[in-house]
Amino acid sequence: MESLNPTSTSHHHRLQSPLFIPSTPPLQSIFNIKRSFNRRIVCELKTTQNDKKNKKKKLVQNKIVLSEGAPSLSEDDDGNLEASAEKSEQSSLLRLLKRVPKRVLGVLSNLSLAIAEMGSVAALMALGTVIEQGETPDFYFEKYSEENPVFGFFTWRWVLGLGFDHMFSSPIFLGLLVLLAASLMACTYTTQIPLVKVARRWNYLNTSEAIRKQEFNDSLPRASVRDLGVILMGAGYEVFLKGPSLYAFKGLAGRFAPIGVHLAMLLIMAGGTLSATGSFRGSVTVPQGLNFVMGDVLNPIGFLSTPTQEFNTEVHVNRFYMDYYDSGEVSQFHSDLSLFDLNGKEVTRKTISVNDPLRYGGITIYQTDWSISALQILRDDEGPFNLPMAPLKFSGDKKLFGTFLPVGNTDSPTVKGISMLARDLQSIVLYDQEGKFVGIRRPNSKLPIDINGTKIIILDAIGSTGLDLKTDPGVPIVYAGFGALMLTTCISFLSHSQVWALQDGTTVVVGGKSNRAKIEFPEEMNRLLDRVPEVVDKSSLNAINN
Amino acid sequence: MIFSTLEHILTHISFSIVSIVITIFFMTLLVREIVGLYNSSEKAMIVTLFCITVILVTRWVDSGHFPLSNLYESLTFLSWSFSIIHRVPYFRNHKNKNHFSAITAPSAILTQGFVTSGLLTEMHQSAILVPALQSQWLMMHVSMMVLSYAALLCGSLLSVALLVITFRKNVEIFCKSDSLSFLIRPIFFDKIQYVNEKNNVLRNTCFLSVRNYHRYQLIQQLDCWSCRVISLGFLFLTIGILSGAVWANEAWGSYWNWDPKETWAFITWTIFAIYLHTRTNNNWGNKNSAILASMGFLIIWICYFGVNLLGIGLHSYGSFTLI
Repeated sequence: MESLNPTSTSHHHRLQSPLFIPSTPPLQSIFNIKRSFNRRIVCELKTTQNDKKNKKKKLVQNKIVLSEGAPSLSEDDDGNLEASAEKSEQSSLLRLLKRVPKRVLGVLSNLSLAIAEMGSVAALMALGTVIEQGETPDFYFEKYSEENPVFGFFTWRWVLGLGFDHMFSSPIFLGLLVLLAASLMACTYTTQIPLVKVARRWNYLNTSEAIRKQEFNDSLPRASVRDLGVILMGAGYEVFLKGPSLYAFKGLAGRFAPIGVHLAMLLIMAGGTLSATGSFRGSVTVPQGLNFVMGDVLNPIGFLSTPTQEFNTEVHVNRFYMDYYDSGEVSQFHSDLSLFDLNGKEVTRKTISVNDPLRYGGITIYQTDWSISALQILRDDEGPFNLPMAPLKFSGDKKLFGTFLPVGNTDSPTVKGISMLARDLQSIVLYDQEGKFVGIRRPNSKLPIDINGTKIIILDAIGSTGLDLKTDPGVPIVYAGFGALMLTTCISFLSHSQVWALQDGTTVVVGGKSNRAKIEFPEEMNRLLDRVPEVVDKSSLNAINN
Repeated sequence: MIFSTLEHILTHISFSIVSIVITIFFMTLLVREIVGLYNSSEKAMIVTLFCITVILVTRWVDSGHFPLSNLYESLTFLSWSFSIIHRVPYFRNHKNKNHFSAITAPSAILTQGFVTSGLLTEMHQSAILVPALQSQWLMMHVSMMVLSYAALLCGSLLSVALLVITFRKNVEIFCKSDSLSFLIRPIFFDKIQYVNEKNNVLRNTCFLSVRNYHRYQLIQQLDCWSCRVISLGFLFLTIGILSGAVWANEAWGSYWNWDPKETWAFITWTIFAIYLHTRTNNNWGNKNSAILASMGFLIIWICYFGVNLLGIGLHSYGSFTLI
């Protein structure tokens, strides 16, 4: 089960002379050579030929022993790069110029700084929910007055000066977010990507002491490392065997997934920035039967917003109607919309409702609200008259609209009339000149009602639809970021387990670690090690070797 | 009518069963391990899970929409999630599920008790859904959020337990009347041989007595458990927040509105992201991350309940008034 490792094929070379022992002795002579002696010879033999490669190998081994603490890895990298830069003759100025961004990168990718940034972003967000947002300055003068400041020092000067009244677009908050994004980028570049290179190398541990230092270690007397390799392969590990040492891993995706998480977050931030600077937004309340042009309604949000040709489209509200539950509550409201282009040709027609918007040319129309615009009545068989309805009281989702039909002397200052109230488009409640309740009529029934001699027939209640229009170029990017984030967070839940083993005499020394499954890993390893067959006597072991 | 009586009966059954189970668990931990009773407590938790599932299903059938539209239903869903999380270790045959069960089972009962108490009676009836909530996204977003709350609450409670034990270790090293020794000795007696052979490299702790060693072992276990559960909860929280954002975009045209509830969910996400990052760097130690997770416990309750008390914003459906 020797697997060819592309990066270290040079190490598999064997010298033919029996005096010089090669770096990777075959299995027969393994028991006669001590490890340290072997390594010394490797250094002396190969100094002239494979200088660079040896250095890399040493550095690789250094990287194994260091635990996966991210900051230390970047310093190693820095040291390596700086050493090689110094070797080749470069001027000191260029060296200085090269060092400055490295130092900035080093500072930015510090984990404590990132944690501090995240913590302060969280604290600012919490503050933003406590302090009311978007109110007039007078509100803050009253609430955080200088006479009795909150906590003894927090006055309106703090609030307005630091921009806490519009916290989520204030310079402090946005600046912290930019800093966080910069830290993310620096961290991904300096620590995560080298981690990919390290994790992909098959790193063998060649001494028993190094193996015993692992979190989980064990030694199996009278066993063979190849049997262990077979069992590990059966358990789903990828096994690499080089001479007496073995390296196996499982779940490598769990090591790469945090990189994916950080990249997905950067993508979301980029999309969010694009949305904040390049989108259009607007809302409009249109009575049934009227129309509007999209460009009149849409307002630019940021400095990158540029209108498109589709802004000339005219939207016509053909019909607005509502569905009701049996109890009388509103269940859903719908608008039948037609879109006409500049030439008056109808390009699309759709009935939208809440949670079901209309999309055309990058612009989306959402159904968000409704109101009643007018009441159409016949008075004493004359008309029809359109009485506009005004909102009287809003409490949450419950609305009340009313209108007034003056009766009698309309010029006197205290004119009396008939009041009509409606909660929705289903039924209208009528009150007479003294405010006494007279009756309820449904618009479709066309039943007349007589109020002190005036005959009223309610023909129709005309509703108006509340529409929100929006165009947002950043949405596809943000959606892609969302999907990537969900996926990579799922994958990073996998744990990356590594196992090293070394055949030391007749004993196999096994060590391993796992980055997430710290509880299940020892149990799993014990189960697997129990299944390694015991080699009975020396003669059969020699038979395996030969 | 029949559904509501069925629901009534089932809630009372589940409530009483879980209280019996809690008593058995605490007896097991504090006094003596009675193996026969342990099996029955496991079965009793299965019965509770079944009861709550049937409650949710009957509400679903009765009202025609997924049972997650107001605070009462979401709290019932929360206690269901606690029961589910309680069952997860059994699927993977972990040893020593005792401490984990000691956290999840009381959480389930406390939530269920609060729900069935007299505080929220006006929400017991299944109500109709307002137009904004009539969407397929309701199922995914709210269920993911409540599941994540349950998992994160369990994880942070485990961290709180870890902190309590750590502080007790600092305060009472030589105290004889330490009830924790009763707690630890019967459970860990079989593990001590195992650990002595394998763990040749002891960490920088000095074991003055067998009791401290057991305590160290317990702390390690709690630490690992809380890390795993919080990672799972973090995953659900991410999916919940993102699905909520996509739903908001489909319904109202913008995926993030700095709504109080959204903001607090993001704050919770940030705190637990900090927790996961502190665990990657081993120099910081277990105690700091446990302190973070305990802060997370408070923040989750603010996010879930505190914001609803304000009653404003897009998420006003969950608001309630304590009369």
